[in-house]
Parts: sequence; C-alpha cells; structure tokens
Amino acid sequence: MHWLDVVAVLLLVGAGLAFVAGESALARAEDLQAIYWLAVGALGLQAAAHFGRPVVR
Amino acid sequence: MENESRGVLGLLDRISDLGPAAQASIPGLYAWAITVAPSAWAREAGWPADVTAVLALAVLAAAPVLERAQPLRARVLSVWGFTVTSLATWLLVPSALSPSHLDVVRAVAGVVGWALFATASAAPALPRLRNDDRVTSEGRLRPRSRFPRGDTAFIAVGVALAAALELVGWRVVAEERAVLVRLVAIACGLAMVGAWTSFAVSRHGRRAPAPLKVRLRRSLPYVVVLVLLVIAGVVIRLA
Repeated sequence: MHWLDVVAVLLLVGAGLAFVAGESALARAEDLQAIYWLAVGALGLQAAAHFGRPVVR
Repeated sequence: MENESRGVLGLLDRISDLGPAAQASIPGLYAWAITVAPSAWAREAGWPADVTAVLALAVLAAAPVLERAQPLRARVLSVWGFTVTSLATWLLVPSALSPSHLDVVRAVAGVVGWALFATASAAPALPRLRNDDRVTSEGRLRPRSRFPRGDTAFIAVGVALAAALELVGWRVVAEERAVLVRLVAIACGLAMVGAWTSFAVSRHGRRAPAPLKVRLRRSLPYVVVLVLLVIAGVVIRLA
C-alpha cells in the first residue's frame, strides 16, 4: 500500500469522526459547530477521494 | 473462487436447515427493534420495562437454540414467550404507544414487522435447496470476477462508520430537529459508504496508476481548505 493510500484512509476515518461530531452538535442545537464539523468531514472525504484514486483520467 | 461461492451457498443451506422458530427470529428481531425497544428505553420508562424488553430479546434468541432438541417447546417459547414479554413491556409504558407519541411511519413499520413474525411463525420453514432444483445442468455458475479480500475490510469499516452515525441523536426533543438529524445522518452515512467503496475499488483499476504529483495536485485544493478550517477551529477554540 502506497503512503498516499494510508493518508487517504486516515482522512476517511477522520471524516467519519467529524461527521459524528457534527451530528452530535446538530442534536445539541449547536448549529455553528455542526456546520463546521460537517464541512470538515465533507472536505476530508473529497481530499481522500482524490488521494486514493490511482487512475489517470 | 469456488470455495467462496461454496461458502455463500453453505450459509444459505444452513439458514434453510433452520426451523420455523429460528427463521421467525429474524422478523421478530425487526419487530422488537421497531416497537418494543423504543418503548422500553423511552424517557418515561422505568427499569421493569427494560427487563421485560431484554427478556423478550433473550426468548427470541433462545428459541433457535432449543429448536433442534425440542421443536414444539421452542415454537411455544418463540411465539408466546416473545409476545407476552413484548406485551408486558407495552403495558409497563402505556404512554409510549399513545397516538401523540407514536410516529405513523414507525407504527406502519411495526405492523409490517409483527405481520412478518406471525407469518414466519405460523408457516412451515423454508425448505432446503435440492441439487435437482437448479436451473443449469452444468453445476454451479462461476462468477466472472473475483471480489478481493482487502476490499471487504475497507467496505466493512465504511459501513461501521455509517452505522455509528445512526446511533447519534436519538434523544432530540424537538421533532423538526430530530428529523433534520436523521436526514443528515443518512446523507453522511451514504457518503461514507460511497467514499470507502470508491477507495477500495480504485486500488485495483485496470488503467495506469496516476503519478504521485497528479494525485497531490488534484487533492491540494481540498487539503488546503481542510487545513485552514482545522487551524481556524483550533484558534477559535483557544481564543
């Protein structure tokens, strides 16, 4: 496994944890925190998708 | 490959070998999760309701174990034991099933679950697939491609994270926010499963792998914004 794949996996796990934090904040009615964590999660997913795509377009 | 397909078929054969009580435990578990568990762990419920709900689940799990040795008793335990303990849970928390507390979708899903449990309990067990029932005469069909073992682990992690998302936010009081939390959980869960699956599949594409520079260049905008967001979050937290 390439080191970029490892980074992609870590980003994916981090994105999952960020989503959980965002959802918890949303449940506590802390909307600003929820938006922050959900944005972090979405960006983490996007970054991981581009890191771990070893195919030429 | 043949070993894998044999394993799947073996699992199906083992399910077919189960009796009616064991086969009914699957829709029973669904009905329990939809109708009994929410009542037992509602805000107004006390510990007796928790005990009867756990007992209902234990009865449901015990019936398949008992079925091989004593099928009749297992069936009685599955049908009456499960029904009586579920009924006791509802009687201990009568407000949980009042129209003001009961969601329509959950009520319909619960009715479907109990109907499936009743059908599976009353109907004879599904028979085992015999060799002469097969459509093809040349034995078992061979899959065209192989499912790599590593992919299963990646997809399992994605599904586990998506399931973890579904465990959060079940105690929200305001209905609108509760719906929003569930919608966000489903959307994030789908995104997680999709991302992990894409990552797993992309590892063994047939086309040439992209160079390191290309991969870094593609992900750079997202990484920069992500790092800026994380730094901003840390700074705001420390201020």
